[in-house]
Amino acid sequence: MNTKKEFQHPLIIRITHWLNFIALGIMVASGLRIYNASPVFYFKIPSELTLGGWLAGARQWHFFAMWLFLLNGVIYVIYNVSTRHGRHTTLFHHSDVHGIVPMIKYYLRLQKEHPPQKKYNALQKLAYTTVPLLAIGAILSGIAIYWPVQFSFVTRLFGNYDTARVWHFIFMASLVLFFLGHLLMVAIAGWDNFLSIITGWKKSSNTTEPHV
Amino acid sequence: MKKRSIIAVSDSSEGGFSLRRRKLLKLSPLLFLAGCDISPSGGTESFLKTFQAFNDWVQGKVFDPTKLAPEYSDTDLTPEDGFRVNGYDTDTPDIDLAHWTLTVEGMVTKPGQYTLQQIMSLPKRVMNTRHCCVEGWSMIPQWGGTPLRDFLHLVGADVNAKYVAVECGDEYYTSFDMPSILHPQTMLCYEAYQKPLALEHGAPMRIVMPTKLGYKSAKWVNKLVVANDKPGGYWEDQGYDWFAGI
Repeated sequence: MNTKKEFQHPLIIRITHWLNFIALGIMVASGLRIYNASPVFYFKIPSELTLGGWLAGARQWHFFAMWLFLLNGVIYVIYNVSTRHGRHTTLFHHSDVHGIVPMIKYYLRLQKEHPPQKKYNALQKLAYTTVPLLAIGAILSGIAIYWPVQFSFVTRLFGNYDTARVWHFIFMASLVLFFLGHLLMVAIAGWDNFLSIITGWKKSSNTTEPHV
Repeated sequence: MKKRSIIAVSDSSEGGFSLRRRKLLKLSPLLFLAGCDISPSGGTESFLKTFQAFNDWVQGKVFDPTKLAPEYSDTDLTPEDGFRVNGYDTDTPDIDLAHWTLTVEGMVTKPGQYTLQQIMSLPKRVMNTRHCCVEGWSMIPQWGGTPLRDFLHLVGADVNAKYVAVECGDEYYTSFDMPSILHPQTMLCYEAYQKPLALEHGAPMRIVMPTKLGYKSAKWVNKLVVANDKPGGYWEDQGYDWFAGI
């Protein structure tokens, strides 16, 4: 194994990654508290998983963290677009389509050989490209229910006020699902990979080793 | 804690406010990663309050005084039996409907007491607008009443004043920015579904403001004050956002 260090994540990516983790954590925990005040579905979220103590406190957290989430996301997008960072390694390209099935087979242990890949495999690229779109969906559906009068055209995009609330929940749940999958992959990939999102560097340059 | 019945806020499973405050301590472990001071008397709460003031400011900037809340057709109305009263601890006040008046004070040229007949003689507006509770539920009742700006004109209010505060028969109180007060859909409402407002919905007169959250649509209004000093509100003083625009 090659022990040469390899640079993985630029500083801005590392900072926005962790700010996003904090912002989304606050958004989800306080949002679930807001959800509990009048559940859209037939269940409530255990209070222990929520943030804010009561509805007013949850709203204060939610409408603080939304700015952090939004500004952080804008910086992330501007950085990626202007530097073309991740354009070939992370952004899903139509040529990645044929790589999806072999990766699923590999993950399901139906195929022993890890399909050849560069920094990320086809499924990872798909996930890392979908997640920003989910975030945009969460923000738009959030605007739809925060300002159903001032931005009524955004609310109409999601049907009406009530269906926009459901969409907001779906985007949140999808982001949480991604997060859980991401955690699992990070755990599988190991410590060296985890350190790379903190220090920027990874020991191995062997690209067939899992990188998350 | 006084029981509340205004269409507004409840986390009814949470008990009283002091208990809620203590529950602030039970914050997500995530916060430790953020390195926050989680004591309710500490920096976090005052930071959030400050930030809330910033959001109120943004809300004021985003508010478009000419933008109307969507109005719905009669077929979209919430059926009358679904016209909801916030369903916990309901404590409808005793209102002497026969002798009810609206007291007007502050920056007006004609302060005093106004009868329901005087208000009803002003132009009437009927509208089907969505009432959005801060809890997340909503309904589309049919409201009928007088645009508040017409009444302000009648009493000679200084519309360059910054705020209007209202007080209610159940000791509820809240306040508004003048641009929202002058919005064409802001009304002194005395009818719902073409019938006189029922007592539990704020008879004889309530505020209806489809551009703000439900707790701004105060029921049993009996006093209106035009002022330049920012007044508070029952829920707002406890931590809910003051502007509450939607």
